[in-house]
Amino acid sequence: MELNTASSVISFARELEEESARFYESLSSQYPGDEETFLDFAKENRKFIKQFENAYYSVISDAIEGCFAFAINPDTYKLNNKPVAGADISEAIRRALEIEDSLVRFYNDAAEQSKSLLADVPRAFTLIAKKRSGRKQTLESIR
Amino acid sequence: MAVLEEPIKGIKNVKNYINGEWVESKGEIVDVVNPATYQTIGRVPISTKEEINAAVEAAKAAFPDWRRTTPLARSRILFRLKNLLEENFEEVSRIQTQEHGKCIDESRGESRRGIENVEVACGIPTLMQGYYSEDIAHGIDEWVIPTPLGVFGIIGPFNFPWMIPLWSAPYALATGNCVVIKPSSEVPFSQMKLAELAEEAGFPPGVWNVVNGGRTVVNGMLDHPDIVGITFVGSTPTGRDVIYKRCGETGKRVIAQCGAKNFMTVMPDCDVERTVTAMMTSFFGNTGQRCLSAANAVIVGDDDAFYRDFVDKIVARTSNIKVGYGLDESVQVGPLRDKAKKEKVLRYIETGIKEGAKLLLDGRKVKINGDYPDTCFLGPTIFEDVRPDSRVGSEEIFGPVMSIMRVKTLEEAIEISNANSFGNGHSIFTSSGKSAREYQYNILSGNVGINIGIVAPMAFFPFSGMKESFYGVLHTQGREAVRFFTESKVIIQRWF
Repeated sequence: MELNTASSVISFARELEEESARFYESLSSQYPGDEETFLDFAKENRKFIKQFENAYYSVISDAIEGCFAFAINPDTYKLNNKPVAGADISEAIRRALEIEDSLVRFYNDAAEQSKSLLADVPRAFTLIAKKRSGRKQTLESIR
Repeated sequence: MAVLEEPIKGIKNVKNYINGEWVESKGEIVDVVNPATYQTIGRVPISTKEEINAAVEAAKAAFPDWRRTTPLARSRILFRLKNLLEENFEEVSRIQTQEHGKCIDESRGESRRGIENVEVACGIPTLMQGYYSEDIAHGIDEWVIPTPLGVFGIIGPFNFPWMIPLWSAPYALATGNCVVIKPSSEVPFSQMKLAELAEEAGFPPGVWNVVNGGRTVVNGMLDHPDIVGITFVGSTPTGRDVIYKRCGETGKRVIAQCGAKNFMTVMPDCDVERTVTAMMTSFFGNTGQRCLSAANAVIVGDDDAFYRDFVDKIVARTSNIKVGYGLDESVQVGPLRDKAKKEKVLRYIETGIKEGAKLLLDGRKVKINGDYPDTCFLGPTIFEDVRPDSRVGSEEIFGPVMSIMRVKTLEEAIEISNANSFGNGHSIFTSSGKSAREYQYNILSGNVGINIGIVAPMAFFPFSGMKESFYGVLHTQGREAVRFFTESKVIIQRWF
């Protein structure tokens, strides 16, 4: 089902962040050599949640098009975060890169569609997309 | 999509808050119903004359000390209130949805707008400063001191149970007055929660009072010699014929914000996609139960292709609106507040058909998201070929009904908008600065939008209104509210 309201998009973003945080937490226990990096990512995910929630709750206002701003198809951003037990680390990194790609796409789309909201919301989405793009380099270096 | 948890569990009894105490009323008790589930969620008292008198007496007794409390100290209590409102943001938003029916995004927006008024009022040490002239004559100085007046009554409507009393209360209190708030008995829980937080913030007993009820409480406020002023938001007949008139008779200050019939003028050079989006929230948001809701879409020009394309886009977009319980995050339009309100809108739809308007989208055939009774639900409805002088085109419907009209020129659009008896929140959608200026200059509307669907002024601007939409002089919110809640005391001084 398409997500149309700001509230449903924020909840969906929260789910995506939690899912990917759990994914990185599972990698941290499977690949102790890179534990710190994966745990840092998981921690940063929760910071992202705070960032977009703060933006949304600070500017959501009765006058803006909160209930009509979005047309997000959640299926387009489904994450494959199933455990990668026994797999080589390069397989885990490949999965992580897919997750990051999906999230960058989601945040960029959400930023584009939330332009009718006050500036803080699209700015928060864009910022998170940028930070997630930056993660890819770190992931590549592990591989 | 999951339905968010309801904050009000079981059946909650509403009490009055008088002189810092939560007190049971001796008045009749009526049920409060969640309009989406149609289940009783609480019971509210219809308080007695003695109870409103007790609240006014408590406020009057608290006034001298509260007035002597420094503006900075009063502001600190407001800061504490602001923090508590942030901490309880989600709960107060969900309460609004549960008691009123609006979608959760709309409730959160309402919470935010209410808090913004508290934030503005926190600036009272500077907002309330007077001014001074030295040597207005030989050795004589003159200055003005804005002084508080005493006890104010605040009468809230059902459509914004949380925010609207906050257009007044923070300014009244920050300037050193005491208040008695009467929430709508249909939606009493938001103001009950607000009073709990005000108590926690540290307002002294008697400064902030809440008395629930109906006409007895309103009449008690209007008749009481110790109430110095009233702010009211509600219908035009009540605002004009009861509140404004009686305040005039009894010498009270008054702000009466009333009904509306808002016209959205659409120029052929508008940004169609963004205009359509803005119109969705303006016509159908809050289920059309806003005094700033759009009612009439006036499409300008003789370009038939543009007209047809615009109308088709509006109908297509509206057809996909999800109607349901506001705590379901996927829902875009909630129920009307109660059965009687729905029936009133249904009568208008029938009237529109009889008047010869073309029904493009029939909200009576509503599909509800989830398993809820259809008692208060009504889908968005669109009429075409509506005459501006018809009942549907000229009267306030207060529901999710769009009436489309077509005119040849901008002048004609302004003329039919101005011919309407209301003047609350008209808008133009255009990419032409010239058209926008001509519109803004000539339109008779207290709040004017240029590419804005809902022309809701921010807390630091007055919430204006013209013609039958407003009775009074000064307005709620911002600097005008500070003026309303204070008298200018002028001092002229000479020392021999």
